[in-house]
Amino acid sequence: MSALRTLLICVLAIATLYAMRNSTPGYGDITAPIAIRGAVGERVETRDFAFGAANVHLARQVKVESFGRVKDYSTSGVWLIIEGAAVAKTETMTLTSADWLAGNGLRYELSQRFSTVPGYLPTERLEPGLPRPVLLAFELPEAAVDKGTLLVARSLVMPLAEELSIALGDKKPADIKPSVTIARSASGTPWTLAAR
Amino acid sequence: MPVVRRSKIRRRLLIMLVTGVGGMAAAAISFASAVYDAANPAPVPTIGKDQTVDTGRWRVTINGAHMSSMPPTGTKPFEPKRFLVVDLELDNRSVATSNVFLNLITIRDEAAPVQPKPTYYLARDKWIASAINPNMPEKLVAAWEWPADRPEPATLSLSIGKQIYKPRDNLYGAPNWFDDGEAAVVELPVTQAAETKEQ
Repeated sequence: MSALRTLLICVLAIATLYAMRNSTPGYGDITAPIAIRGAVGERVETRDFAFGAANVHLARQVKVESFGRVKDYSTSGVWLIIEGAAVAKTETMTLTSADWLAGNGLRYELSQRFSTVPGYLPTERLEPGLPRPVLLAFELPEAAVDKGTLLVARSLVMPLAEELSIALGDKKPADIKPSVTIARSASGTPWTLAAR
Repeated sequence: MPVVRRSKIRRRLLIMLVTGVGGMAAAAISFASAVYDAANPAPVPTIGKDQTVDTGRWRVTINGAHMSSMPPTGTKPFEPKRFLVVDLELDNRSVATSNVFLNLITIRDEAAPVQPKPTYYLARDKWIASAINPNMPEKLVAAWEWPADRPEPATLSLSIGKQIYKPRDNLYGAPNWFDDGEAAVVELPVTQAAETKEQ
């Protein structure tokens, strides 16, 4: 009887320890950014900055006009282009991290292929109180657009910072344009976006 | 009374002996197997071109190599230069976009390593390749600027590195990818001086 009880206690202890081991959050989970949820078309606020995604476009090809030359950027999937606006609240900053989280959990970083696009998010310096129009572009497989979420943060390496999580929802564009041209603009937003 | 106490002590001694010997045996086996693995590393497979290497995080296929006087952009350099051009395919199998492949492929050579590092271009539109997205296999072109004082190689031996994923690393317990030696060595012939047309 006593042996049975000892065995039972041992099994119980092993089960408890196993459950605790599996449910302990890792360092990555503990220091993960704090998600602030929002939707396309609305202004989403964090303590340090605010961001709003306005228009979403899909294209097979992006053409960038800069200094009289046209550069073609092709993709094996689709280009997802987001026009929005961002403003800093407390200090001058740059939003260096923007990811597209697909419905299946894959993370797609902001495309690093452009160097001369006006208003591109990681190159824009945001001053407190002065909203600036910003442009974001992702290269994605077509299936990753549905149920996707835009994640915007100041930096990926800041633990426990705030990160915007903006769901695309039903704002997915109806059609994929064969080509979108981004050109510098003299007034208003720093770029013009034309589908051809 | 003294009889009971002695038997209790004996039982405790036995338990201590068993756990002590067991623990020491476990530590010795673990240490010995680590030493044995370090002394007898698994041989790195050598493969030819057009064969896919599964490195865990990446699937790499080397499709061919040639010498050229033209970089993959098609713009002839101002001073004549030679380039070692390698065509390859990369498939990112991890969960996030990554540019680690830039350090993945190195030339295996007895002489000093070729400097500088290669530049990677996208095969489809000749732009410099940045990070590769998951679930989007890409064809790339890697170009090494070949030193002027070195003879053109007839064969090429490329070392494909690999990485392992640790859900909890040893320092912080944070999830990350870590370098883990070579996955394979690719031996392939180098076609000489395939002249592409000027633009």
